[in-house]
Amino acid sequence: MYQVQDSSALVAGHRALLRERSKERRVPRTVVLLGLTSLLTDISSEMVAAVLPLYLVYAAGFTPLQLGIVDGLYRGAAAFVALASGFAADRRKRHKEVASLGYGLSAACKLALVAAGGAVGAIGAIVMLDRVGKGIRTAPRDALISLSASPKTLGAAFGVHRAMDTTGAMLGPLLAFGLLALAPLAFNTIFLVSFCFAVLGLGVIVLLVPGNPARSAREPGPSLRAATDLLVVPRFRALVVVASLLGMATISDAFLYLALQRHLELAPLTFPLLFVGASLAYMLLAVPIGRLADRVGRGRVFVAGYALLLPVYASLLLPAAGLPALALGLALVGASYAATDGVLAALASASLEEEVRGSGLAVITTATNLARFLASVGFGALWTWAGLDVAVMACGIALALAIVVTATLLVKTREPTSDA
Amino acid sequence: MRSRGGLFALLAGACVIVAAGAVISAVIAQGTAATAPAARSVVLARPYVVFRSLDRAARAGELTSTAVAAPGRRRVRSGRVCARLYANATGGICIARGRSLLGAYEAELLAPDGRVRHRLDLSGVPSRARVSPDGRYGATTTFVTGHSYAAPGEFSTQTLLIDMRTGKAIADLESFTVSLAGRVVDAADVQFWGVTFARDSDRFYATLATAGKTHLIEGRVSARTAHVIHDNVECPSLSPDGTRIGYKKLVGAKGRAWRFHVLDLASKAETPLSETRSVDDQLEWLDDGHLLYGEKGAIWTVSADGTGAPRRYLSDADSPAVVR
Repeated sequence: MYQVQDSSALVAGHRALLRERSKERRVPRTVVLLGLTSLLTDISSEMVAAVLPLYLVYAAGFTPLQLGIVDGLYRGAAAFVALASGFAADRRKRHKEVASLGYGLSAACKLALVAAGGAVGAIGAIVMLDRVGKGIRTAPRDALISLSASPKTLGAAFGVHRAMDTTGAMLGPLLAFGLLALAPLAFNTIFLVSFCFAVLGLGVIVLLVPGNPARSAREPGPSLRAATDLLVVPRFRALVVVASLLGMATISDAFLYLALQRHLELAPLTFPLLFVGASLAYMLLAVPIGRLADRVGRGRVFVAGYALLLPVYASLLLPAAGLPALALGLALVGASYAATDGVLAALASASLEEEVRGSGLAVITTATNLARFLASVGFGALWTWAGLDVAVMACGIALALAIVVTATLLVKTREPTSDA
Repeated sequence: MRSRGGLFALLAGACVIVAAGAVISAVIAQGTAATAPAARSVVLARPYVVFRSLDRAARAGELTSTAVAAPGRRRVRSGRVCARLYANATGGICIARGRSLLGAYEAELLAPDGRVRHRLDLSGVPSRARVSPDGRYGATTTFVTGHSYAAPGEFSTQTLLIDMRTGKAIADLESFTVSLAGRVVDAADVQFWGVTFARDSDRFYATLATAGKTHLIEGRVSARTAHVIHDNVECPSLSPDGTRIGYKKLVGAKGRAWRFHVLDLASKAETPLSETRSVDDQLEWLDDGHLLYGEKGAIWTVSADGTGAPRRYLSDADSPAVVR
């Protein structure tokens, strides 16, 4: 029998192997830093978003309807900016710089709000520029995340990023209302503090995040042709199709929470709490579900994530079941986000060549946003004309069908590396 | 890489200092506003004018008074800040930012010496305020949506009648039965604004808007009724002798400009005033021959008979109210 005389060598070797393995599993520093950028930027933007309606009503006399219409148009404009920025970042291989430009633009908008001093036209223009900034940064940032993480941990990487992003989105409004409590109507103070957070976020990406990995920045980037040829890649095309279908079949957040509130006859003041509840679940579950997706297959988790919404929709058609059911419903909505949002980015990244990752992620984000916009218009119209129950039922059936189509398409285009 | 880290630390420090400075200064400003000296009396020998002083940025809108005999020579400040203001010998209404979290507006119902007798929460952005000559009723108009009378159909107003003694709202003008040419108006688009009270307090005048047109209504608080007595009248103001109404009239081919007019209630004769600018304010009678109004940060005066030219009455001021 062969015996190792000195077992310490073996132990050391084993340890080194373990370290190597956990290193591969660990989420890279760049992803955490990008998460920090998003956290700070979301604190900044959600602070403003939380008080802007109040500000517009008290300082500028806007109606919510005007605000809603204008906001919809801006989102549309931002979607097309996203396509351009995703491609530009790929073309010049400068994802970090393009994303920084978007973060910088949004930061400048916060300072401009202080200067606008309640002028309606100026505020409209600033809100639009802010959205454009968001449009510019999203795809290059996601590309940067996917390029920094190892292919095996894409789900976890996006999970970490989304968890940090959501944390910022929850802290922002808290901070804003805290400041309002300290100094009522000090809107300019809120804008200034928001600007400081935006500058910090910008500082993290500009000063601390490394640029594109050494991968020869001299090599020419993809042509426009290469970017448009993306849609020929079967796996990626399938993802764009299913993301659009699912986006069109889901009830938008605002409508879902409004429906829950009506259904359970909650006081209007509890409305923001519904957002908080679902975000909390999303924040807590984003990382574990991302890791789970890396392990058991991202496609499976993605499909299951949408399936989680079906019981929530069904509950809207059944007699109201009280607060525990509401808590469960919000947890399901949050879990659904955790299983679909970052996981879709991971799925798409895995199906894309590195050269066109920014463009591809921009295409899929734009398709999803456009689909959600249509869904929201459609749901609103159905609710108005046919009633809430009919609208919910229609969405439920459409979602069930879309899930079946998704599962079929994802299995059909499963890649040999298998992440279905 | 190290220098970048240092740069980031520097940036982070600067951000923390700026943010902390902004918050601390806002909180201190809040504190000084809250602990500002209790409102001082602005009572002078009658007649005197009470107005919002705009000459100090720090307390823009401070309730201030000056003698009619020598307007502007001596300004007596109250320490109280108002967004809209009205007063007469019986007391006044100062519409101010409330102390609640969201800072919605509230009406402070004032005693003649400036003490707050009651507070009443209002919804929307303040526009007009009036108190009846005997101090029984007050009236406020707020924009619930929109913020200007300039765009018909894009704003909605709420006009409340207030019992000045109890501090409670007694009615929304929309609950009154209003008739136009003998028929009760029950359209959904009805709006009211700009109340003015007669000497007996029960009788009042106001603007009614429906179907894109404005009308002058005369009503009775006790009966909860009103009827239309004239057309194209906004923000009426009854003369001290009770015979005429000063108001804004829409003129021009497109009807896009206001001109101040005076309506003789007995003959229904309209007299255009010599002010040719389009001004959005509710007129206030200085005496039976002259009116006051605010325009572009100053108070102006003009003759009630249409002669002469408008004259600057007080600089850096608006919301005039005459205590006689």
